[in-house]
Amino acid sequence: MIKINNLDFAYKNTQVFRRINLEFEKGNIYGLLGENGVGKTTLLKLICGLQQPQHGVITVDGFDPSMRQPEFLQNVYFMPEEVITEDTTPEKFIQKTGVFYPRYDFDLFNKLMKELEVDLTKKFNELSHGQKKKALLACAMSLQTDYLFLDEPTNGLDIPSKALFRKVISQYCSDETTVIISTHQVKDVENLIDPIVILDRDDVLLNASFSKITEKIFFEYGPERLENAYYTEMLPGGYINVMRNVNNEESNVNIEALFNAVMKNKEQIKDLMK
Amino acid sequence: MNNTLDFNRLGKVVKHDSASFVQNLGLALIILWAIPVVIWLFNSLTPSHAHMDAFSRIGMIGLLGKILLIIAPARLYKYCNDSRQGIGFAMLPASTLEKFISMVFYCVIVAPIIYLAGALAIDSVLSVLGGPYEGFAIADYFDKFAQLKDMWKDKMMFDEEDYSILANTFTPTMIIISKILTVLTLSSIFMFGNMVFKKRKTGKMIGILILLFIIFMIIMVNYAANHEYWFQRMFGEITEENAAEVFKHAICIIFRASMIVSAIISAVMLWLTYYKIKTQKY
Repeated sequence: MIKINNLDFAYKNTQVFRRINLEFEKGNIYGLLGENGVGKTTLLKLICGLQQPQHGVITVDGFDPSMRQPEFLQNVYFMPEEVITEDTTPEKFIQKTGVFYPRYDFDLFNKLMKELEVDLTKKFNELSHGQKKKALLACAMSLQTDYLFLDEPTNGLDIPSKALFRKVISQYCSDETTVIISTHQVKDVENLIDPIVILDRDDVLLNASFSKITEKIFFEYGPERLENAYYTEMLPGGYINVMRNVNNEESNVNIEALFNAVMKNKEQIKDLMK
Repeated sequence: MNNTLDFNRLGKVVKHDSASFVQNLGLALIILWAIPVVIWLFNSLTPSHAHMDAFSRIGMIGLLGKILLIIAPARLYKYCNDSRQGIGFAMLPASTLEKFISMVFYCVIVAPIIYLAGALAIDSVLSVLGGPYEGFAIADYFDKFAQLKDMWKDKMMFDEEDYSILANTFTPTMIIISKILTVLTLSSIFMFGNMVFKKRKTGKMIGILILLFIIFMIIMVNYAANHEYWFQRMFGEITEENAAEVFKHAICIIFRASMIVSAIISAVMLWLTYYKIKTQKY
Protein backbone atom coordinates (compact mmCIF):
# COMPACT_ATOMS: atom_id res chain seq x y z
CA MET A 1 0.00 0.00 0.00
CA ILE A 2 1.18 3.50 -0.83
CA LYS A 3 0.56 6.16 1.79
CA ILE A 4 1.23 9.84 1.25
CA ASN A 5 0.86 12.14 4.24
CA ASN A 6 1.17 15.93 4.24
CA LEU A 7 3.33 15.94 1.15
CA ASP A 8 4.93 19.20 0.14
CA PHE A 9 6.97 19.41 -3.02
CA ALA A 10 8.30 22.27 -5.11
CA TYR A 11 10.70 22.71 -8.01
CA LYS A 12 12.73 25.78 -7.02
CA ASN A 13 10.02 28.46 -6.94
CA THR A 14 7.16 26.39 -8.34
CA GLN A 15 5.01 24.72 -5.74
CA VAL A 16 3.70 21.40 -7.05
CA PHE A 17 2.07 19.82 -3.99
CA ARG A 18 0.95 21.47 -0.78
CA ARG A 19 0.15 19.20 2.16
CA ILE A 20 -1.53 16.51 0.08
CA ASN A 21 -2.73 13.21 1.49
CA LEU A 22 -3.32 10.22 -0.72
CA GLU A 23 -3.54 6.44 -0.50
CA PHE A 24 -3.20 3.79 -3.18
CA GLU A 25 -4.48 0.37 -2.20
CA LYS A 26 -2.97 -2.85 -3.45
CA GLY A 27 -4.32 -4.71 -6.45
CA ASN A 28 -5.93 -1.78 -8.28
CA ILE A 29 -5.25 -0.13 -11.59
CA TYR A 30 -5.29 3.57 -10.76
CA GLY A 31 -5.79 6.27 -13.33
CA LEU A 32 -3.83 9.37 -12.38
CA LEU A 33 -5.45 12.21 -14.24
CA GLY A 34 -4.78 15.89 -14.40
CA GLU A 35 -4.05 18.76 -16.71
CA ASN A 36 -0.56 19.21 -18.10
CA GLY A 37 1.89 20.37 -15.47
CA VAL A 38 -0.13 19.53 -12.35
CA GLY A 39 2.50 17.06 -11.16
CA LYS A 40 1.40 13.63 -12.33
CA THR A 41 4.92 12.61 -13.33
CA THR A 42 6.34 14.27 -10.23
CA LEU A 43 4.01 12.27 -8.01
CA LEU A 44 5.11 9.02 -9.67
CA LYS A 45 8.75 10.05 -9.29
CA LEU A 46 8.20 10.82 -5.61
CA ILE A 47 6.61 7.41 -5.07
CA CYS A 48 9.54 5.75 -6.85
CA GLY A 49 12.13 7.70 -4.85
CA LEU A 50 13.43 9.59 -7.87
CA GLN A 51 12.51 12.82 -6.12
CA GLN A 52 12.46 13.67 -2.44
CA PRO A 53 9.59 15.43 -0.68
CA GLN A 54 10.39 18.71 1.05
CA HIS A 55 7.90 17.88 3.74
CA GLY A 56 5.70 14.95 4.59
CA VAL A 57 6.03 11.21 4.38
CA ILE A 58 5.64 8.69 1.58
CA THR A 59 5.69 5.00 2.34
CA VAL A 60 5.37 2.08 -0.05
CA ASP A 61 4.68 -1.11 1.90
CA GLY A 62 6.47 0.55 4.79
CA PHE A 63 9.55 1.54 2.76
CA ASP A 64 10.72 5.10 2.39
CA PRO A 65 11.17 5.35 -1.41
CA SER A 66 13.80 8.08 -1.18
CA MET A 67 16.17 5.57 0.47
CA ARG A 68 16.12 3.54 -2.76
CA GLN A 69 16.72 0.28 -0.93
CA PRO A 70 17.10 -2.81 -3.12
CA GLU A 71 14.25 -4.56 -1.31
CA PHE A 72 11.97 -1.68 -2.29
CA LEU A 73 13.34 -1.25 -5.81
CA GLN A 74 12.87 -4.90 -6.73
CA ASN A 75 9.15 -4.48 -6.21
CA VAL A 76 8.58 -1.35 -8.26
CA TYR A 77 9.02 -0.46 -11.90
CA PHE A 78 8.64 2.98 -13.43
CA MET A 79 8.12 3.33 -17.15
CA PRO A 80 8.81 6.96 -18.05
CA GLU A 81 7.03 8.83 -20.78
CA GLU A 82 10.21 9.25 -22.76
CA VAL A 83 11.51 5.79 -23.43
CA ILE A 84 15.17 4.83 -23.21
CA THR A 85 17.25 4.72 -26.36
CA GLU A 86 19.73 2.01 -25.42
CA ASP A 87 21.79 0.55 -28.20
CA THR A 88 20.62 -2.95 -27.39
CA THR A 89 17.73 -5.26 -28.17
CA PRO A 90 14.82 -5.44 -25.70
CA GLU A 91 15.76 -9.09 -25.17
CA LYS A 92 19.31 -8.27 -24.08
CA PHE A 93 18.04 -5.36 -22.01
CA ILE A 94 15.59 -7.51 -20.07
CA GLN A 95 18.12 -10.31 -19.64
CA LYS A 96 20.59 -7.98 -17.93
CA THR A 97 17.92 -6.15 -15.92
CA GLY A 98 15.56 -9.00 -15.08
CA VAL A 99 18.04 -10.84 -12.85
CA PHE A 100 17.48 -8.19 -10.17
CA TYR A 101 13.76 -8.89 -9.93
CA PRO A 102 12.68 -12.01 -8.00
CA ARG A 103 9.57 -12.76 -10.10
CA TYR A 104 11.03 -11.89 -13.51
CA ASP A 105 9.71 -14.23 -16.21
CA PHE A 106 11.55 -14.36 -19.54
CA ASP A 107 8.87 -16.55 -21.13
CA LEU A 108 6.28 -13.96 -20.25
CA PHE A 109 8.48 -11.31 -21.87
CA ASN A 110 8.63 -13.30 -25.11
CA LYS A 111 4.89 -13.90 -25.00
CA LEU A 112 4.17 -10.21 -24.47
CA MET A 113 6.56 -9.15 -27.22
CA LYS A 114 4.64 -11.43 -29.60
CA GLU A 115 1.26 -10.19 -28.41
CA LEU A 116 2.34 -6.58 -28.70
CA GLU A 117 3.77 -7.32 -32.14
CA VAL A 118 7.26 -6.00 -31.45
CA ASP A 119 10.18 -7.09 -33.60
CA LEU A 120 12.46 -9.10 -31.32
CA THR A 121 15.54 -8.73 -33.47
CA LYS A 122 15.67 -4.94 -33.58
CA LYS A 123 17.54 -2.73 -31.12
CA PHE A 124 15.66 -0.14 -29.09
CA ASN A 125 17.04 2.73 -31.14
CA GLU A 126 15.94 1.02 -34.36
CA LEU A 127 12.34 0.77 -33.20
CA SER A 128 9.68 3.43 -33.77
CA HIS A 129 8.48 5.40 -30.74
CA GLY A 130 5.34 3.28 -30.41
CA GLN A 131 7.30 0.04 -30.79
CA LYS A 132 9.79 1.20 -28.17
CA LYS A 133 6.95 1.86 -25.75
CA LYS A 134 5.44 -1.56 -26.37
CA ALA A 135 8.82 -3.25 -25.96
CA LEU A 136 9.38 -1.43 -22.69
CA LEU A 137 5.88 -2.36 -21.55
CA ALA A 138 6.69 -6.02 -22.25
CA CYS A 139 9.89 -5.61 -20.21
CA ALA A 140 8.02 -3.92 -17.36
CA MET A 141 5.25 -6.52 -17.26
CA SER A 142 7.66 -9.46 -17.36
CA LEU A 143 9.38 -8.21 -14.19
CA GLN A 144 6.10 -8.84 -12.32
CA THR A 145 6.73 -6.22 -9.68
CA ASP A 146 4.15 -5.39 -7.02
CA TYR A 147 3.97 -1.81 -8.24
CA LEU A 148 3.99 -0.68 -11.82
CA PHE A 149 4.04 3.03 -12.62
CA LEU A 150 3.29 4.01 -16.18
CA ASP A 151 3.75 7.61 -17.22
CA GLU A 152 1.68 8.50 -20.28
CA PRO A 153 2.00 4.96 -21.61
CA THR A 154 -0.32 5.45 -24.58
CA ASN A 155 1.42 8.55 -25.98
CA GLY A 156 2.73 7.68 -29.42
CA LEU A 157 0.77 4.45 -29.71
CA ASP A 158 -1.46 3.90 -32.73
CA ILE A 159 -5.11 2.86 -32.27
CA PRO A 160 -4.57 -0.94 -32.47
CA SER A 161 -1.63 -0.63 -30.09
CA LYS A 162 -3.74 1.26 -27.56
CA ALA A 163 -6.20 -1.62 -27.59
CA LEU A 164 -3.32 -4.09 -27.20
CA PHE A 165 -2.00 -2.03 -24.30
CA ARG A 166 -5.35 -2.22 -22.47
CA LYS A 167 -5.58 -5.94 -23.17
CA VAL A 168 -2.09 -6.69 -21.89
CA ILE A 169 -2.52 -4.65 -18.72
CA SER A 170 -5.87 -6.17 -17.83
CA GLN A 171 -4.84 -9.71 -18.76
CA TYR A 172 -1.35 -10.00 -17.31
CA CYS A 173 -1.43 -7.88 -14.17
CA SER A 174 -1.94 -10.08 -11.16
CA ASP A 175 -4.50 -9.29 -8.47
CA GLU A 176 -1.63 -8.28 -6.20
CA THR A 177 -0.17 -5.76 -8.61
CA THR A 178 -0.87 -2.09 -8.16
CA VAL A 179 -0.68 -0.16 -11.40
CA ILE A 180 -0.74 3.62 -11.55
CA ILE A 181 -1.27 4.99 -15.01
CA SER A 182 -0.63 8.68 -15.38
CA THR A 183 -2.34 10.11 -18.43
CA HIS A 184 -4.22 13.03 -19.83
CA GLN A 185 -5.67 10.88 -22.59
CA VAL A 186 -8.54 9.45 -20.59
CA LYS A 187 -10.19 7.67 -23.53
CA ASP A 188 -7.13 5.45 -23.88
CA VAL A 189 -7.56 4.00 -20.41
CA GLU A 190 -11.34 3.84 -20.26
CA ASN A 191 -12.60 0.45 -19.02
CA LEU A 192 -9.13 -0.23 -17.63
CA ILE A 193 -8.66 2.07 -14.70
CA ASP A 194 -10.51 1.95 -11.42
CA PRO A 195 -10.13 3.94 -9.11
CA ILE A 196 -9.44 7.41 -10.45
CA VAL A 197 -7.20 10.06 -8.91
CA ILE A 198 -7.56 13.59 -10.24
CA LEU A 199 -4.77 16.02 -9.42
CA ASP A 200 -5.00 19.76 -9.52
CA ARG A 201 -2.29 22.34 -8.99
CA ASP A 202 -0.95 21.51 -5.52
CA ASP A 203 -4.04 19.51 -4.55
CA VAL A 204 -5.86 16.19 -4.96
CA LEU A 205 -9.40 16.72 -6.19
CA LEU A 206 -10.61 13.14 -6.33
CA ASN A 207 -9.47 9.69 -5.28
CA ALA A 208 -12.35 7.28 -5.62
CA SER A 209 -13.39 3.99 -7.13
CA PHE A 210 -16.01 3.84 -9.87
CA SER A 211 -18.57 2.41 -7.45
CA LYS A 212 -18.04 5.30 -5.06
CA ILE A 213 -18.18 7.81 -7.89
CA THR A 214 -21.45 6.46 -9.27
CA GLU A 215 -22.84 6.31 -5.76
CA LYS A 216 -22.41 10.09 -5.48
CA ILE A 217 -22.43 11.25 -9.09
CA PHE A 218 -24.93 10.45 -11.80
CA PHE A 219 -24.06 10.43 -15.50
CA GLU A 220 -27.21 11.19 -17.40
CA TYR A 221 -27.39 10.73 -21.16
CA GLY A 222 -30.41 12.61 -22.51
CA PRO A 223 -31.78 14.86 -25.17
CA GLU A 224 -31.37 18.07 -23.19
CA ARG A 225 -28.93 20.11 -21.16
CA LEU A 226 -29.81 20.09 -17.45
CA GLU A 227 -29.40 23.28 -15.50
CA ASN A 228 -28.43 21.67 -12.20
CA ALA A 229 -25.65 19.56 -13.74
CA TYR A 230 -22.07 20.02 -12.66
CA TYR A 231 -21.05 19.67 -16.26
CA THR A 232 -22.85 19.23 -19.54
CA GLU A 233 -21.44 18.28 -22.89
CA MET A 234 -23.03 17.82 -26.25
CA LEU A 235 -22.61 14.34 -27.68
CA PRO A 236 -23.84 12.90 -30.96
CA GLY A 237 -27.56 12.39 -30.39
CA GLY A 238 -27.89 14.38 -27.20
CA TYR A 239 -26.13 15.51 -24.03
CA ILE A 240 -24.23 14.02 -21.17
CA ASN A 241 -25.03 15.65 -17.85
CA VAL A 242 -22.84 15.01 -14.83
CA MET A 243 -24.88 15.65 -11.73
CA ARG A 244 -25.34 14.76 -8.11
CA ASN A 245 -26.83 11.27 -7.67
CA VAL A 246 -29.74 12.23 -5.46
CA ASN A 247 -31.93 9.23 -6.32
CA ASN A 248 -29.26 6.54 -5.99
CA GLU A 249 -29.51 5.70 -9.66
CA GLU A 250 -26.98 3.56 -11.45
CA SER A 251 -24.95 4.94 -14.31
CA ASN A 252 -21.74 4.40 -16.25
CA VAL A 253 -18.81 6.67 -15.58
CA ASN A 254 -17.71 8.79 -18.48
CA ILE A 255 -14.17 9.62 -17.42
CA GLU A 256 -13.78 12.62 -19.69
CA ALA A 257 -17.03 14.18 -18.52
CA LEU A 258 -16.17 13.37 -14.91
CA PHE A 259 -12.78 15.00 -15.30
CA ASN A 260 -14.29 18.14 -16.77
CA ALA A 261 -17.00 18.21 -14.08
CA VAL A 262 -14.36 17.95 -11.35
CA MET A 263 -12.22 20.67 -12.90
CA LYS A 264 -15.22 23.02 -13.11
CA ASN A 265 -16.57 22.29 -9.62
CA LYS A 266 -13.47 21.57 -7.61
CA GLU A 267 -14.64 22.35 -4.11
CA GLN A 268 -18.21 21.08 -4.58
CA ILE A 269 -17.11 17.67 -5.83
CA LYS A 270 -14.35 17.44 -3.21
CA ASP A 271 -16.97 18.01 -0.52
CA LEU A 272 -19.38 15.61 -2.18
CA MET A 273 -16.85 12.78 -2.31
CA LYS A 274 -15.74 13.14 1.32
CA MET B 1 17.75 -8.91 2.95
CA ASN B 2 20.92 -6.86 3.31
CA ASN B 3 20.07 -3.52 1.77
CA THR B 4 23.61 -2.13 1.94
CA LEU B 5 25.96 -4.75 0.52
CA ASP B 6 25.13 -8.17 -0.81
CA PHE B 7 27.93 -9.84 -2.78
CA ASN B 8 25.54 -11.80 -4.94
CA ARG B 9 23.75 -8.59 -5.93
CA LEU B 10 27.07 -6.77 -6.34
CA GLY B 11 28.08 -9.47 -8.83
CA LYS B 12 24.86 -8.83 -10.74
CA VAL B 13 25.56 -5.08 -10.85
CA VAL B 14 29.10 -5.71 -12.10
CA LYS B 15 27.73 -8.06 -14.77
CA HIS B 16 25.00 -5.55 -15.65
CA ASP B 17 27.57 -2.77 -16.12
CA SER B 18 29.89 -5.02 -18.11
CA ALA B 19 27.24 -5.38 -20.81
CA SER B 20 27.79 -1.79 -21.94
CA PHE B 21 31.54 -1.56 -21.23
CA VAL B 22 32.80 -2.40 -24.72
CA GLN B 23 30.00 -0.44 -26.34
CA ASN B 24 30.76 2.71 -24.35
CA LEU B 25 34.53 2.58 -24.02
CA GLY B 26 35.56 0.39 -26.96
CA LEU B 27 36.05 3.21 -29.46
CA ALA B 28 38.02 5.34 -26.99
CA LEU B 29 40.30 2.38 -26.22
CA ILE B 30 40.87 1.68 -29.91
CA ILE B 31 41.77 5.34 -30.56
CA LEU B 32 44.18 5.41 -27.63
CA TRP B 33 45.77 2.13 -28.71
CA ALA B 34 46.01 3.40 -32.29
CA ILE B 35 48.01 6.52 -31.43
CA PRO B 36 51.35 4.68 -30.84
CA VAL B 37 50.68 2.67 -34.01
CA VAL B 38 50.16 5.86 -36.01
CA ILE B 39 53.37 7.33 -34.58
CA TRP B 40 55.22 4.10 -35.41
CA LEU B 41 53.86 4.15 -38.96
CA PHE B 42 54.65 7.83 -39.39
CA ASN B 43 58.22 7.39 -38.17
CA SER B 44 58.67 4.26 -40.27
CA LEU B 45 57.50 5.93 -43.44
CA THR B 46 59.21 9.30 -43.07
CA PRO B 47 62.83 9.52 -44.23
CA SER B 48 64.09 10.70 -40.83
CA HIS B 49 63.25 7.31 -39.19
CA ALA B 50 63.25 9.02 -35.79
CA HIS B 51 63.70 6.44 -33.03
CA MET B 52 61.75 6.31 -29.81
CA ASP B 53 63.32 4.50 -26.91
CA ALA B 54 61.32 2.38 -24.49
CA PHE B 55 61.54 5.02 -21.74
CA SER B 56 59.83 7.74 -23.79
CA ARG B 57 57.21 5.26 -25.03
CA ILE B 58 56.35 4.37 -21.44
CA GLY B 59 55.79 8.09 -20.91
CA MET B 60 53.50 8.20 -23.92
CA ILE B 61 51.55 5.13 -22.79
CA GLY B 62 51.23 6.69 -19.33
CA LEU B 63 49.96 9.97 -20.75
CA LEU B 64 47.39 8.21 -22.94
CA GLY B 65 46.40 6.14 -19.91
CA LYS B 66 45.72 9.33 -17.98
CA ILE B 67 43.51 10.51 -20.84
CA LEU B 68 41.58 7.24 -20.53
CA LEU B 69 41.15 7.77 -16.78
CA ILE B 70 39.78 11.23 -17.48
CA ILE B 71 37.26 10.17 -20.11
CA ALA B 72 36.25 6.75 -18.75
CA PRO B 73 33.62 7.83 -16.15
CA ALA B 74 31.72 10.01 -18.62
CA ARG B 75 31.91 7.31 -21.30
CA LEU B 76 30.86 4.45 -19.03
CA TYR B 77 28.30 6.21 -16.81
CA LYS B 78 27.25 9.10 -19.01
CA TYR B 79 23.54 8.93 -18.23
CA CYS B 80 23.58 8.02 -14.55
CA ASN B 81 22.51 11.54 -13.50
CA ASP B 82 20.36 12.31 -16.53
CA SER B 83 16.82 13.18 -15.48
CA ARG B 84 15.39 10.93 -18.19
CA GLN B 85 17.94 8.30 -19.14
CA GLY B 86 19.35 7.97 -15.64
CA ILE B 87 16.11 6.56 -14.24
CA GLY B 88 17.19 3.03 -15.16
CA PHE B 89 20.40 3.44 -13.15
CA ALA B 90 18.58 4.87 -10.13
CA MET B 91 15.81 2.28 -10.18
CA LEU B 92 18.10 -0.73 -10.62
CA PRO B 93 17.40 -2.89 -7.55
CA ALA B 94 20.83 -2.60 -5.98
CA SER B 95 22.13 -0.47 -3.16
CA THR B 96 23.99 2.80 -3.67
CA LEU B 97 27.13 1.16 -2.34
CA GLU B 98 26.91 -1.68 -4.87
CA LYS B 99 26.40 0.73 -7.77
CA PHE B 100 29.27 2.85 -6.49
CA ILE B 101 31.63 -0.14 -6.10
CA SER B 102 30.83 -1.27 -9.62
CA MET B 103 31.49 2.25 -10.93
CA VAL B 104 34.85 2.39 -9.14
CA PHE B 105 35.69 -1.13 -10.32
CA TYR B 106 35.23 -0.24 -13.99
CA CYS B 107 36.70 3.29 -13.91
CA VAL B 108 39.66 2.69 -11.59
CA ILE B 109 40.55 -0.96 -12.18
CA VAL B 110 39.09 -2.53 -15.32
CA ALA B 111 39.47 0.34 -17.80
CA PRO B 112 43.14 1.16 -16.95
CA ILE B 113 44.16 -2.51 -16.80
CA ILE B 114 42.59 -3.31 -20.16
CA TYR B 115 44.14 -0.20 -21.67
CA LEU B 116 47.58 -0.89 -20.20
CA ALA B 117 47.56 -4.55 -21.22
CA GLY B 118 46.54 -3.64 -24.76
CA ALA B 119 48.98 -0.73 -25.04
CA LEU B 120 51.94 -2.80 -23.82
CA ALA B 121 50.99 -5.71 -26.08
CA ILE B 122 50.78 -3.40 -29.11
CA ASP B 123 54.10 -1.81 -28.17
CA SER B 124 55.70 -5.25 -27.90
CA VAL B 125 54.38 -6.27 -31.32
CA LEU B 126 55.64 -3.03 -32.89
CA SER B 127 59.05 -3.51 -31.23
CA VAL B 128 59.29 -7.01 -32.68
CA LEU B 129 58.43 -5.63 -36.11
CA GLY B 130 61.45 -3.34 -35.82
CA GLY B 131 61.55 0.17 -37.13
CA PRO B 132 61.49 3.23 -34.89
CA TYR B 133 60.56 1.50 -31.62
CA GLU B 134 63.63 0.27 -29.78
CA GLY B 135 63.32 -2.28 -26.99
CA PHE B 136 60.22 -3.41 -25.18
CA ALA B 137 58.42 -0.75 -23.15
CA ILE B 138 57.11 -3.35 -20.69
CA ALA B 139 60.59 -4.77 -20.10
CA ASP B 140 62.02 -1.29 -19.67
CA TYR B 141 59.30 -0.43 -17.16
CA PHE B 142 60.07 -3.38 -14.89
CA ASP B 143 63.77 -2.95 -15.48
CA LYS B 144 63.52 0.59 -14.12
CA PHE B 145 62.10 -0.72 -10.88
CA ALA B 146 64.88 -3.25 -10.55
CA GLN B 147 67.51 -0.59 -11.12
CA LEU B 148 65.88 2.22 -9.20
CA LYS B 149 68.76 2.56 -6.81
CA ASP B 150 71.33 2.60 -9.59
CA MET B 151 69.23 5.07 -11.51
CA TRP B 152 69.51 7.63 -8.75
CA LYS B 153 73.25 7.22 -8.70
CA ASP B 154 73.74 7.25 -12.47
CA LYS B 155 71.12 9.67 -13.71
CA MET B 156 71.28 12.22 -10.93
CA MET B 157 75.02 11.75 -10.48
CA PHE B 158 74.89 12.00 -6.74
CA ASP B 159 77.38 10.25 -4.59
CA GLU B 160 76.50 7.37 -2.29
CA GLU B 161 75.47 9.58 0.63
CA ASP B 162 73.60 12.15 -1.44
CA TYR B 163 71.27 9.82 -3.17
CA SER B 164 70.31 7.90 -0.05
CA ILE B 165 67.53 10.28 0.94
CA LEU B 166 66.05 10.10 -2.56
CA ALA B 167 66.48 6.36 -2.75
CA ASN B 168 64.80 5.96 0.63
CA THR B 169 61.84 8.09 -0.47
CA PHE B 170 61.42 6.95 -4.06
CA THR B 171 61.39 3.24 -3.29
CA PRO B 172 59.65 0.86 -5.73
CA THR B 173 56.84 0.42 -3.19
CA MET B 174 56.36 4.17 -2.81
CA ILE B 175 56.42 4.68 -6.56
CA ILE B 176 53.81 1.95 -7.05
CA ILE B 177 51.66 3.54 -4.34
CA SER B 178 52.05 6.96 -5.97
CA LYS B 179 51.03 5.50 -9.37
CA ILE B 180 47.97 3.86 -7.81
CA LEU B 181 47.11 7.13 -6.09
CA THR B 182 47.46 9.02 -9.37
CA VAL B 183 45.03 6.60 -11.01
CA LEU B 184 42.65 6.82 -8.06
CA THR B 185 42.81 10.62 -7.83
CA LEU B 186 42.25 11.23 -11.53
CA SER B 187 39.44 8.68 -11.69
CA SER B 188 37.72 9.88 -8.54
CA ILE B 189 37.83 13.53 -9.63
CA PHE B 190 36.27 12.70 -12.99
CA MET B 191 33.78 10.25 -11.48
CA PHE B 192 32.59 13.06 -9.25
CA GLY B 193 32.48 15.43 -12.24
CA ASN B 194 30.43 12.83 -14.07
CA MET B 195 27.86 12.82 -11.28
CA VAL B 196 27.76 16.60 -10.87
CA PHE B 197 27.56 17.79 -14.46
CA LYS B 198 24.92 16.74 -16.92
CA LYS B 199 26.53 17.89 -20.14
CA ARG B 200 30.14 18.35 -21.26
CA LYS B 201 31.12 16.59 -18.06
CA THR B 202 34.81 16.02 -18.79
CA GLY B 203 35.39 19.45 -20.30
CA LYS B 204 33.79 21.24 -17.37
CA MET B 205 35.81 19.24 -14.86
CA ILE B 206 39.06 19.98 -16.73
CA GLY B 207 38.11 23.68 -16.74
CA ILE B 208 37.51 23.61 -12.99
CA LEU B 209 40.83 21.86 -12.38
CA ILE B 210 42.70 24.43 -14.47
CA LEU B 211 40.96 27.21 -12.56
CA LEU B 212 41.79 25.60 -9.20
CA PHE B 213 45.38 25.08 -10.28
CA ILE B 214 45.73 28.75 -11.26
CA ILE B 215 44.23 29.85 -7.93
CA PHE B 216 46.47 27.44 -6.05
CA MET B 217 49.58 28.68 -7.86
CA ILE B 218 48.70 32.33 -7.20
CA ILE B 219 48.23 31.57 -3.50
CA MET B 220 51.43 29.53 -3.31
CA VAL B 221 53.54 32.10 -5.13
CA ASN B 222 52.17 34.87 -2.93
CA TYR B 223 52.70 32.78 0.16
CA ALA B 224 56.23 31.86 -0.80
CA ALA B 225 57.08 35.45 -1.64
CA ASN B 226 55.76 36.75 1.67
CA HIS B 227 56.85 33.92 3.94
CA GLU B 228 60.52 33.38 3.32
CA TYR B 229 60.91 32.39 6.95
CA TRP B 230 58.76 29.33 6.23
CA PHE B 231 61.46 27.96 3.94
CA GLN B 232 64.15 28.96 6.37
CA ARG B 233 62.36 27.23 9.20
CA MET B 234 62.16 24.08 7.12
CA PHE B 235 65.55 24.05 5.48
CA GLY B 236 67.59 26.66 7.27
CA GLU B 237 69.56 29.27 5.34
CA ILE B 238 69.89 28.29 1.67
CA THR B 239 73.45 28.70 0.48
CA GLU B 240 75.37 27.62 -2.59
CA GLU B 241 76.81 24.71 -0.61
CA ASN B 242 73.57 23.30 0.73
CA ALA B 243 71.34 24.11 -2.32
CA ALA B 244 71.50 20.55 -3.67
CA GLU B 245 70.68 19.13 -0.24
CA VAL B 246 67.71 21.50 0.15
CA PHE B 247 66.58 20.61 -3.36
CA LYS B 248 66.61 16.89 -2.55
CA HIS B 249 64.77 17.43 0.72
CA ALA B 250 62.22 19.63 -1.03
CA ILE B 251 61.64 16.95 -3.69
CA CYS B 252 61.07 14.33 -1.01
CA ILE B 253 58.73 16.57 0.96
CA ILE B 254 56.76 17.48 -2.17
CA PHE B 255 56.55 13.78 -3.15
CA ARG B 256 55.27 12.73 0.27
CA ALA B 257 52.94 15.71 0.54
CA SER B 258 51.54 15.07 -2.93
CA MET B 259 50.82 11.48 -1.95
CA ILE B 260 49.00 12.56 1.18
CA VAL B 261 47.07 15.22 -0.75
CA SER B 262 46.22 12.67 -3.48
CA ALA B 263 44.94 10.23 -0.87
CA ILE B 264 42.81 12.94 0.76
CA ILE B 265 41.45 14.20 -2.58
CA SER B 266 40.65 10.62 -3.66
CA ALA B 267 38.84 9.86 -0.41
CA VAL B 268 36.82 13.10 -0.54
CA MET B 269 35.96 12.71 -4.23
CA LEU B 270 34.93 9.07 -3.79
CA TRP B 271 32.76 9.93 -0.81
CA LEU B 272 31.15 12.84 -2.71
CA THR B 273 30.50 10.58 -5.71
CA TYR B 274 28.84 8.02 -3.44
CA TYR B 275 26.78 10.74 -1.77
CA LYS B 276 25.75 12.18 -5.14
CA ILE B 277 24.62 8.73 -6.38
CA LYS B 278 22.62 8.31 -3.18
CA THR B 279 20.91 11.71 -3.31
CA GLN B 280 20.66 12.31 -7.06
CA LYS B 281 17.19 13.47 -8.05
CA TYR B 282 15.67 12.68 -11.42
